[in-house]
Amino acid sequence: MNKLDKQFEDMMKGIRIDSPSSDFTLKVMSRIQAEAAVAKRPILADYQPVISKKTWIILISGFVLLMIFISVSGNDAAPASNSGFWSSVAQSMNAFKTSQSSIMQKGAGIFSSVPQIAYLIVLASLALWTLDGFLGKFSHRSSGIHIK
Amino acid sequence: MDKNEDQYYIEAVRKGNIQAFSFLVEKYQKLIYTLALKLLKRPEDAEEMAQDTFIKAFQKLDMYEGKSKFSTWLYSITYNACISELRKRRIEFKSLEDQRITEQDEMKMHDYYRETKKEDQEKYLNLALGKLPEDDQILVTLYYYENQSMDEISEITGLTVSNIKVKIHRARKKMYSLLHEMLNEEIYSLL
Repeated sequence: MNKLDKQFEDMMKGIRIDSPSSDFTLKVMSRIQAEAAVAKRPILADYQPVISKKTWIILISGFVLLMIFISVSGNDAAPASNSGFWSSVAQSMNAFKTSQSSIMQKGAGIFSSVPQIAYLIVLASLALWTLDGFLGKFSHRSSGIHIK
Repeated sequence: MDKNEDQYYIEAVRKGNIQAFSFLVEKYQKLIYTLALKLLKRPEDAEEMAQDTFIKAFQKLDMYEGKSKFSTWLYSITYNACISELRKRRIEFKSLEDQRITEQDEMKMHDYYRETKKEDQEKYLNLALGKLPEDDQILVTLYYYENQSMDEISEITGLTVSNIKVKIHRARKKMYSLLHEMLNEEIYSLL
């Protein structure tokens, strides 16, 4: 700092600095206390998933079983035959092909007969599930500063 | 010592003693408020900005690494918040034209200034400072009043050190020129 700078600095030291309101510290500290209280107890702290994991497993299993039952129950039984190993293999293959096409037909039939509202329900459930998992991740997260 | 003292309270806050933060608020509130006032002009805006600065500092305290002074970190939060606020309001700083004042003029002006009454000195100095562009007021306050180094001011404002040097030099000359005008006016009014 040269002489002119020093001289100017002396001059500047003479000015009085502005002051905020007298209860400034109090205002800031009360805002900080409120901030810290929120950080200590996040909004999602008590969040419980709407549908528990157990219920989801039961619902999905039930749905899968229902689908299997619908597709298998309409199958014509393959005719029994005792004409040797190769013919039984051929029959099995045939039965498999028949059941496969039958499942596809039935599947197509099932899906075409399902009303649109059901798709919406499934989509909404999936969205709810995704949101559920997302919120669950944040449920116990708190700020870096912990209150004693 | 000063930095260690700040660090002591910062650590206390980090460990959960929130009340320790009030020491830092008490210590820096005047300068934070002054900086905000110089940029935003309205006292109520400056007060709100100063409060927001401390809240932001509290929230981000874990991010303060202690590489720079705590005051420098705080001033940079204030400065950047004020600049964003001014950008929202679409207010631009005026630029300062070069003043043709020689070093001898500055010396003479200083002696002349010293001869005026103490209360007048402060009044004229504040008036002259207020007539500088807002960012120059900040630079002058930080450099001459708060004794922040050029590097620290560069950290706060994002300006280069050479740019800061030029701006401070011009601002000083401008202030002397303004003081000269004001003191001359006073002499003429007395005559």
